[in-house]
Amino acid sequence: MASTPSKRALPSKESSLFKELLTFYETRQLKKGQKTADQILKKFPEHGETLCMKGLILTHMGKRDEGRELVKKGVRLDLTSHIVWHVFGLIQKGEKNYEEALKSYTQALRFDKENMNILRDAAHLQTQLRLYDGLVETRHLLLKLRPNLRQNWIGLAIAYHLNGNLTEVKRVLEQYERTLKNVPDYDVEQSELMLYHVRVLEDLGELSEALSLLDVNAKSRVIVDRVAIMETRARILSKQGPTEETEQSWRALIQHNPDCPDYYKGLLASKGIDLDNITDSNRAEALQILRDLSTQLPRADTPRRLALDVSIGDEFQELVRDYLLRGLKKGIPSLFVDVKTLYKDTPKWMTIEELVEGFRETQENGGSLDDPSIPSAHSSPPSTSHEAPTTYLWTLYFLAQHHSSRDNHFRALTLITTALTHTPTLPELLTFKGRILKRLGDPVEASVAVNEARLLDGQDRFLNTKAAKYKLRAGLIEDASDILGLFTKKDAPSPGADLEDMQSLLYLMEEGNAYRRKGRLHQALKKYHVVRKVFEEFEDDQYDFHGYSLRKSTLNIYLNLIAWEDNLWSHPAYVASAIAASQIYVKVHDDPSVSKDALSSGTSTEAEKKAKKKAKKAAQKIQEELKKAASTSTNEDKGLEVTPPKDEDPDGFKLLTDPEPLERAWKLLSPLPALVRNNIDVWIAVYDVAVRRGKYLQAVRALSNAKALDPEHAELHLRYLHFRKTYSALPSPLSGPVGAIVSNTLSSLLPSELSSDLYNSQYLQRHPADARAVFSAARGLHLLDHPKEEVEDMIFGVLNREAHLQLKVALEVLAFLQGIRSARAEEFRLACDQKFLLSSVFKNPAELALLQREGSPKEEQQEVIG
Amino acid sequence: MSITIRPARVDDLTGMQACNLQNLPENYTMRYYLYHMMTWPALSYVATDAKGRIVGYVLAKMEEDVGADDDVHGHLTSISVLRSYRRLGLAKKLMLQSQEAMSAIYKAAYVALHVRKTNRPALSLYRDTLGFTVRDVEKKYYADGEDAYSMRLSLRP
Repeated sequence: MASTPSKRALPSKESSLFKELLTFYETRQLKKGQKTADQILKKFPEHGETLCMKGLILTHMGKRDEGRELVKKGVRLDLTSHIVWHVFGLIQKGEKNYEEALKSYTQALRFDKENMNILRDAAHLQTQLRLYDGLVETRHLLLKLRPNLRQNWIGLAIAYHLNGNLTEVKRVLEQYERTLKNVPDYDVEQSELMLYHVRVLEDLGELSEALSLLDVNAKSRVIVDRVAIMETRARILSKQGPTEETEQSWRALIQHNPDCPDYYKGLLASKGIDLDNITDSNRAEALQILRDLSTQLPRADTPRRLALDVSIGDEFQELVRDYLLRGLKKGIPSLFVDVKTLYKDTPKWMTIEELVEGFRETQENGGSLDDPSIPSAHSSPPSTSHEAPTTYLWTLYFLAQHHSSRDNHFRALTLITTALTHTPTLPELLTFKGRILKRLGDPVEASVAVNEARLLDGQDRFLNTKAAKYKLRAGLIEDASDILGLFTKKDAPSPGADLEDMQSLLYLMEEGNAYRRKGRLHQALKKYHVVRKVFEEFEDDQYDFHGYSLRKSTLNIYLNLIAWEDNLWSHPAYVASAIAASQIYVKVHDDPSVSKDALSSGTSTEAEKKAKKKAKKAAQKIQEELKKAASTSTNEDKGLEVTPPKDEDPDGFKLLTDPEPLERAWKLLSPLPALVRNNIDVWIAVYDVAVRRGKYLQAVRALSNAKALDPEHAELHLRYLHFRKTYSALPSPLSGPVGAIVSNTLSSLLPSELSSDLYNSQYLQRHPADARAVFSAARGLHLLDHPKEEVEDMIFGVLNREAHLQLKVALEVLAFLQGIRSARAEEFRLACDQKFLLSSVFKNPAELALLQREGSPKEEQQEVIG
Repeated sequence: MSITIRPARVDDLTGMQACNLQNLPENYTMRYYLYHMMTWPALSYVATDAKGRIVGYVLAKMEEDVGADDDVHGHLTSISVLRSYRRLGLAKKLMLQSQEAMSAIYKAAYVALHVRKTNRPALSLYRDTLGFTVRDVEKKYYADGEDAYSMRLSLRP
């Protein structure tokens, strides 16, 4: 390096102290390091590098604020030192502020261009930030500096791969492999590397090269992952076209794992048969192949099951009869779910219904299912013994599921009741009873049934989770928490806190939705934001693997990790939480009194207050213990990662009263448009937020995208009207090219010659028998400022028989009527209570409270009204 | 379409985590699942239903600290099948695939696991269904002070 600036230069005593300081830090002897730093600072209080090192050490010791201040001061005092920038970068990286960290690293590299550590860290940051051009440069430099390290070659190849340049990847790999001598057998890392090389060739379309590289390395035992060899082989051969060898490659996979339907699909494709589109001309051949495989592989379920997809008519009947009988006799709980995918074919479900109803009758008449008088191809010897009683039970269970799926819930309920009289102790019967009741609109009774199931097997967490979920659906949040607590960690502040730590998306979404249904919007928002936090953790989790996977050379899976992370925010749980939260924010924006209502409804019940106190105490205890631990072992390295600060807003009050609800909503939605293009609910949520933020171009584009998915969607119809109304009411229309695009797009959605009223009534005429459409058109009238009576008259149309009003829609309609303070809301509620016979959701608050109390002695009344 | 048994992929991990949380008392954060996949990408398997949902999984690894007098061996971190998908032999099928990979790729001599002494359902799965035998009791193996059975299954014929 060039001459050292005078204020950095230390006299020889301090200079050697500084070297010691660096060693102490590297060996994490933090206390000694701190002392040494103080020794230097006593004489040279303005020595930037020492200040930074001291700050770094303090941060490791858990004194982040103090440490960070020292580091910043140190940086200011010595702006051209690579050490200070490196330290600053480390601190920022620990705070997960990757962009700023990379800036600091870039500064550091200006003053020490060939520092391997800094370069490596910079590469990881560039990967995390997806800055692939820069990554390629950094990796080039690292390889140039240390060409003898394998990971530097791999690093460059991966950088090219991420940057989309496979030709260069191939070149780098070939160059690297030429330097290799004597690779030992069973070197797993080399095996992974060669599998990666094969994938690169395959992706480049160089199929025969890929295949021969695979075969050579499989034979010489360089590649040792048998399943990967077989799968890659079969895939490449299939791309090359169907041959005898292709067929054999799929057969080898089936032998190895006979329960992977994709392998059968590949085998059939190699014979020119598309399993998803069987025709009359290839049906017999396909069936024969599957039959032969079933004989060869008696333990495999897949060929027998696939034969049900392929066969039709009598052949189907014969096959499905055996399949069903075997399942019922074995008592396989998933039998119905398994065959339900056949139901899209009407003759098939009718056959199944007839067969299983027949089984039921035979058993009720004391007959045997193996009786040859019941048509069956395999004529088994007549059996004198009757069926095992459990077979009858599973027959009833199957039939209940069957009828429920055909929307015949009463029949289903009768069957389940018969089964329960027969055997009251089979949890599956009770959980399914709960499911039927839920479908009938009685979440409270449903939760009672599922809770009974749970009590039959207290050691089973599956039943526990289900029972808690049903409690949440019934609005019994506190009961749910108690149930969940039977399996969560005892030392956690609350069951929910443990589930949050364990990243349970199911719990977070269900509890968030439960709060939302109760109008406790602050708590709902809180849960939805925690869902986001979980995904942020998933995003951060990849960081360590940017270096780790190169060392382990697990490159194929690493690239899959990167692809997964790039799509992370399209996960259904995140999408659902972002949409739900954005709807709450929009509601609060449109009517700020909503937040006041929610906050006042959030007054807790006595029991809840108690639980909260308990949780608070537990949290306090943990904090105290942490403090104690910190004070007794100050030398303990706490690392550089930020420990999450205490949650200042556990109930979401701050979230709900945020002065900029729309900005918050947009932050949650913003990753979605690029990732989830085929979800109309996303586009509608994006529209709702964009139009209120005055982003008209974004809003109208969201509508176009939604229209491409489903032009007649009921919610979308309403947005057309809403957008025209909003846009035409602007004091001054948008000018310039943007204005033109917006107007043109709008008229492509809603032709300008059509009046909104006419458009709305035409929509209704197109969908007179669709309750959702009727509801949408009625809301259209409301939006277009028609009198309330007119809106109400139209809305009551959903009750007409032919509108096939579903319970979920009915609840939305009721909420809308209550929202516009309709005088006929009560009339609608009573009508629904009549219409949905076994439902409880249309009871008035007092009735509902009573029902809930019966379902749960603990919950109190105001809980329900809230 | 029936149940699929296949090697686990990165995009299965949230489903595996959900399945684990729904079914078992020992839970892990995503980072731990990622660590397994990024280190031993061929050892974990999933069972999925017709819609592609995870209904069962085996999460496995190789033991990294093998003592001088010990053989190379695998470790079963977690295995579970949703209650609604029982009696199909899925746990056994998942386990077989994983253990074959352990011996083919890493030449594992056996696979080991730990289970809480009081977790009877798990114990019976490991012993009766999967063929593990109890080797030892490890006192206070779990953070809350509970003992663990250390169990093994030989992979050598």
